Amino acid sequence: MRIPPRVSVALSLVCLTSVLIVLRVNGAQWFGGDGPEYYSGNSNEKAEFYWSRLRYSPRVGQGGGYGYGYGFGASWSRDYPKADRQFLMALRRLTRIQARSTEQVVDLDSDEIYNYPWVYAVQVESWSFTDAEAKRLRDYLLKGGFLMVDDFHGTADWQNFMEGMRMVLPNRPVEDLNDNDEIFHVLYDLGERFQVPGEQYVSTGRTYEKDGYVPKWRAIRDDKGRVMVAICHNMHLGDAWEWADTAEYPEKFASLAFRVGLNYIMYGMTH
Amino acid sequence: MFQFFFKYPIAMFSKGEFVLLGSWPKWILPCLIAACAAGLAFLIHSRLKQAAPRLNIWRAGVVWLLESAIAGLLLVLLWQPAIVIAELKPQQNIIAILLDDSRSMGIMENGATREAQAVKALQNGALAALNKNFQTRLYRLDSHLTQIPDLDELHDASAPATRIGDSLKQVATETSGLPIGAIILLSDGADNSGGIDLDTISAMRSRRIPVHAVGLGSERMPNDIEINDAVVAPRALADSRLSATVTLHQAGFAGRKATLTARDGEKTLATREITLAADGSIQTEGLLFNAGEAGAKALEFSVDPLPEEGNRANNSVTRLVNVESDRRRILYVEGEPRWEYKFIRRAEDDDRIVQIVSMLRTTENKIYRQGISDPKELAEGFPTRAEDLFGYQAIIIGSVEAGYFTPAQQDLLRDFVDRRGGGLLFLGGRSALGDGVWGGSSVADLLPVALPNKKDTFHRAPAMAELTPAGADSTICRLVDDPDRNVERWKKLPYLMDYQEAGTPKPGAAVLAEMKAGSRTMPLLITENYGRGRTAVLATGGTWRWQMSQPLGDTTHDMFWQQLLRWLAADTRGQIVASVPNQTLFDDGHIQLSAEVRDKSYQPAADAQVEAHVVGPNGISAMVEMNPVSETPGSYQAEWTAEKPGSYVAEITAARGGEEMGRDVVTFQRMDGVAENFHAEQNRELLERLASQTGGRYYGPEELSKLSDEIPFSEAGITVHETKELWNMPAVFILILLLRMSEWLLRRKWGIV
Repeated sequence: MRIPPRVSVALSLVCLTSVLIVLRVNGAQWFGGDGPEYYSGNSNEKAEFYWSRLRYSPRVGQGGGYGYGYGFGASWSRDYPKADRQFLMALRRLTRIQARSTEQVVDLDSDEIYNYPWVYAVQVESWSFTDAEAKRLRDYLLKGGFLMVDDFHGTADWQNFMEGMRMVLPNRPVEDLNDNDEIFHVLYDLGERFQVPGEQYVSTGRTYEKDGYVPKWRAIRDDKGRVMVAICHNMHLGDAWEWADTAEYPEKFASLAFRVGLNYIMYGMTH
Repeated sequence: MFQFFFKYPIAMFSKGEFVLLGSWPKWILPCLIAACAAGLAFLIHSRLKQAAPRLNIWRAGVVWLLESAIAGLLLVLLWQPAIVIAELKPQQNIIAILLDDSRSMGIMENGATREAQAVKALQNGALAALNKNFQTRLYRLDSHLTQIPDLDELHDASAPATRIGDSLKQVATETSGLPIGAIILLSDGADNSGGIDLDTISAMRSRRIPVHAVGLGSERMPNDIEINDAVVAPRALADSRLSATVTLHQAGFAGRKATLTARDGEKTLATREITLAADGSIQTEGLLFNAGEAGAKALEFSVDPLPEEGNRANNSVTRLVNVESDRRRILYVEGEPRWEYKFIRRAEDDDRIVQIVSMLRTTENKIYRQGISDPKELAEGFPTRAEDLFGYQAIIIGSVEAGYFTPAQQDLLRDFVDRRGGGLLFLGGRSALGDGVWGGSSVADLLPVALPNKKDTFHRAPAMAELTPAGADSTICRLVDDPDRNVERWKKLPYLMDYQEAGTPKPGAAVLAEMKAGSRTMPLLITENYGRGRTAVLATGGTWRWQMSQPLGDTTHDMFWQQLLRWLAADTRGQIVASVPNQTLFDDGHIQLSAEVRDKSYQPAADAQVEAHVVGPNGISAMVEMNPVSETPGSYQAEWTAEKPGSYVAEITAARGGEEMGRDVVTFQRMDGVAENFHAEQNRELLERLASQTGGRYYGPEELSKLSDEIPFSEAGITVHETKELWNMPAVFILILLLRMSEWLLRRKWGIV
């Protein structure tokens, strides 16, 4: 049977699109220069801990793109998956946590998120929730889940972040963490910290983005004073993990970023 | 009637010794009987042919049997049969008559009280007949014994207690120099002291005093519900769930509904409707309730009276429970960060009694401690000294391999359970149980399961938990008060995140919950008592999913863990353990206070100074020194008497070298006049046993007149051995006559006269 040329073209496009979708769902990326070693993890491995990245719907006008770097509309998937996997290497090497070597993407549109009591979200200035999603995230946190947010900068981002946060936890105060807080001592003593810049530091020498000159280590606590939302504002830990393997990115930023991440996970697994 | 035919009372035959008074050798008697029988057989056989066919072989046999019986009987009479028996000498012996004057004797039956029936029976000739041959002494019997001049001195059955055993002992003691020939006890047998002990029976038997018991009252009360017992732990932790097992029986209300209630003063703790079982059968019902705030509590368990019920005072019982608020510290050793650790800790955050002190291996070289009371606590890792480890009441071993502990530390774990009496819980995990090589450790004996002899027993796959019948009865697994709904609740729990093959439960272990993974069913929660302590295995590290996957506000996960950890730690006692044999004293305040005293290593401390401070009603306060028990090192005892009814608290303190070792509290209560309301039916079994064990007899009140004839045959008091000849008993002559007439009538019938 002879297939008409138009149908052949249409079928080819469908096949190509399908391959790209599969690649995306499995965490691969078709742009950028990451080596294949970051994708060699076994995503079928069963483990105690799954590095969980929150996938959310970006607000209208914000990016929903995919990949690493900045400047391309990334939103929830910023630095994904290289940052996740490089962080997991550190986690598996430096702690006794049995963690899967690959990340797990979790959504707020199903109860599946309850199987992952620790979740990481980036560029949260662009997040938005439906009422159902906000309720699910609220329940998740109040039942014992832990949320770490990262990579948003300056006054405008903060306001946008809080707009979404107020849908989730309307009446919970946000407080600055002090240096003696247990979250900075659960694994490493991190009483002294500094601003961890994104990859732009390599080319600009600036540690800040937008008007986020001062790093803000903040948190929202539950009724018993336990941190349930750890807020890393005016810093970009994810970039530090992602670029830790490059000579240009300073080691001191990467080192602090790894330690902060490990402390936050250890805190989330003990409190 | 018996005496008309046999000349003597039946008691004489049962108590006397049969003898043959004839001077001829006794062996000749059976020989002669045999010879007569043989001669008669020969004679009848020789004439068989002449008398045939009228006298066939079996008719000849009947004739031979009858004639042989007559000959044998006559030969026995020639040897002068007689009974030799000890008989009380008339007018020289005393008969003690004990009349129960307790409240249960005031119960109306057939238009008169039991006591009135007894008095009437005595006054209708029985007492007069006894007085003809003996001196009689009347005693009023209640909680003690009082001699009374006459029956008018009775108190109309108003005494609050009956102590038959003590009263009999008192009679034996008070009359040790007197010739007591017999004791007559008129009672319903409702003894409040729990029965008649061996000492009392021995006292009677050593003096050969028979106790004749006259039973009064119905053997089954009509239309009555009575609580037999309520069993509840005498100690509990504040806010913990307590279970009580109430046993009861009833008559006349089979199949009816009634309400069972537990109360703390005016506050109702739990109530449930029950269906009453068949008349007379023992029924067991459970109640579950919260122990509430700390303090000594008198809990009342009752069945609401039904309208037709007569005796309502036996519908409730009171039990003392000492609710403690001392914190229980549980050491949790976890080998790797994991969610189960976090959520167990969070579950206990709401428990103000149980505190988890944890050490978590976060990296190969770091231990993260939580819940410590002092920076030095656990700074060196798992304790290596008994006095450090024994400061905890329970231990949880998480996903940590046996090799993490030195052999000495493993021995300490064993001593912690066996000697200290602590609780030890093993959790499932990738380095736990079989995968942690615990089966080859010296701790394996402690485990309630025989671990599988293989690795890779831990699986990160879903498993569904399910209650077993033992679990359905356990307070550990009670998520909902109603037992049936609780079973259903367990079936609806979310799946566990992982499971571990725990092996085979050991004999004596209780499997409270199982889990299903695919087609496999395996034990999930197994408990066992070991030594002075208890051990358990929870073969999963994935119960945290019960918290995350159920609606916000669901308390299932936290409640399960709080109950499991309270079970693990609640019964772990301190260095001083105080106890009393019975927490409730009925009408008698005598009590024995006991204490077990141990040093910091929980070795018996034989050289301690131990004293009890007893505080009771109306300002009663007493310091009682407790003395060591020589054969049991570390045990101390003291005797004390609670003079007034009410609740008492005894705080027992031990010191050594001027340093206090610890203290413990025990509660008890004295209740006067309560026991009489229970077991109001006649306890015939007790009266019959008492009579038979002392050589007496049981009589109904209508048989009282026979006493005067039977009572003389006693070996107690001043006796003479009498020989009673039997040849002239009317029964002998009637028997001979009957045998002869039978033969004559048969011969007439057969035509061989």
